[in-house]
Amino acid sequence: MNPRAIQRAIVRMIYDPGFLGAVYGPRALPGLSEPERALLQQVDRRAFTTDRFRRARAVHAIVDEYPASAAAIGLAALEGFLGSREFSAVLIGRGAMALAFGTWLNDQASGVGRIEAAMAGLRRPAPAPPGTGSLRCATNIAPLIVPAGSLEWYEATIAALGPEPLQGLADQQRRPGLPRRSPIRKRQADEHLLIELRPDGGMSLGTASEPLVRLLRFASTPRSRPMLAAEAVARGASAQEAPALLAGLIADGLLVSA
Amino acid sequence: MSDFRSRLAGLPVLGLGVSTEYGASLAAGALDPMRLRREHPAYAGFLEVGVELVKGLDAPARAWAAAGAPTTYHFLDINLDEPEDLDAGWLAGVRALCDTLRPAWLCGDAGLWHFGRRDRGHMLLLPPILIAESVAPMAEGIAALRAATGLEVLPENPPGTAFVGDLHLLEFFARVAEAADTGLLLDCAHLAMYQRLTGRAALDGLDHVPWDRVIELHVAGGSEREHDGFAWVEDEHGPELLPDTWAIAQVAMRRASNLRAVVVECERNPIAAVLPLFARVAAVLPTYMRTVSSDRSIDP
Repeated sequence: MNPRAIQRAIVRMIYDPGFLGAVYGPRALPGLSEPERALLQQVDRRAFTTDRFRRARAVHAIVDEYPASAAAIGLAALEGFLGSREFSAVLIGRGAMALAFGTWLNDQASGVGRIEAAMAGLRRPAPAPPGTGSLRCATNIAPLIVPAGSLEWYEATIAALGPEPLQGLADQQRRPGLPRRSPIRKRQADEHLLIELRPDGGMSLGTASEPLVRLLRFASTPRSRPMLAAEAVARGASAQEAPALLAGLIADGLLVSA
Repeated sequence: MSDFRSRLAGLPVLGLGVSTEYGASLAAGALDPMRLRREHPAYAGFLEVGVELVKGLDAPARAWAAAGAPTTYHFLDINLDEPEDLDAGWLAGVRALCDTLRPAWLCGDAGLWHFGRRDRGHMLLLPPILIAESVAPMAEGIAALRAATGLEVLPENPPGTAFVGDLHLLEFFARVAEAADTGLLLDCAHLAMYQRLTGRAALDGLDHVPWDRVIELHVAGGSEREHDGFAWVEDEHGPELLPDTWAIAQVAMRRASNLRAVVVECERNPIAAVLPLFARVAAVLPTYMRTVSSDRSIDP
């Protein structure tokens, strides 16, 4: 028997009533052998539900980092994450719940979800991939392309929710007017954003030019200077301007050595 | 490293002590450990500091350490059976706090303190899976942490409402202690919860315990709860001991031949409310544990 598999199953059981029911149900479960499941079934299933506030605490932790997304989809929908395969993947892969929530959210909260998922990622920078002599976008910068109006909707929602977003959300229905990309391409313009994690832990959000955002997104994996110069030219710079442009981005801390 | 029984000589007798964790003593009406040590030194021979590295130490814990008073380091953020959890960053943080606290040893619940990686909202505490396959990973983690810090690591039986596995809790920890060649921290209140939940008598299975390895005891009040017809005990660290907890504590104090420390866990209660509990425990403390080391906090 694999004790870690059993322990992971217990964590799912205490967060996800559906999975708890499945453990005591008639069918085998992936990732859990029948002897392991039988061991769990020997315990009174009510023993896994004594903490009435466990799910609420998880929701609180998510809302702390995704208040506007929670306003967009509603708290009831948000709780669905705790029964998702993305949440299960956190347990198996030593993941971070806040990052997995961003993956689960996908486009449910449109550009606002992308903004908050990017912030969650900036708070937890992944180790930089190796690449000698290359440049990459700084790990405290997230370049984003979102539907037009997303930043305004995000900022208005944060202001409306106030300092205790969870309390505000509990009293509200889903907040209307979330900007979404039009299914007809080019009908609705995109918005290009840079999010910066400041040294004090706060975030700065602002719009930027499309060429700059696309160049930094190109540099999300390490690139050589010639490759970045070629991308800058493809985005509208002249061949003569490109070296100075890259030097300026390095001086501003937007591009760093990989 | 030499075997545990020869390392025992290096473990100080700390006597009766009190526990804290970040922010606990700062709440209105909560116990101030330093005041307890000044006014009732026999009840505060040492401070067991519960540490979640991301929070660090609060001001009262730092003040206690600065006074040179004895401490133990109770971890709140390590899954001992997960080798990935003993990462370099966490270990560096633990060593830094040990430089400040100068603890006599490390200890803490040998259970699941967090799911996934250490991160916001991941904290919980679940008991280990009580099967033979769980013993080796737990023991390896204890030995690795001991090697990385140079301090003894005493695993504690955790609380819980759901204990899964075919081994008795005490048999499991006896096997872990043997495999890791370590001492043990027996939490009498947690054990009482386990015995009750599994339908056992309070003193059932005590013969499993390698008593000469029991270095520390925890004693704390708990509250009986019921949820959907299911009865359980909440580990609330209150001033009222359940009779089962007291029965276990009395036996443990008689049988633990190398006992060094007893903690009354009551950190969020006023001093006046917990003095009777301290007096009750002090009265059954082995004689050799009733002296308190002096330091700047009580002997300026």
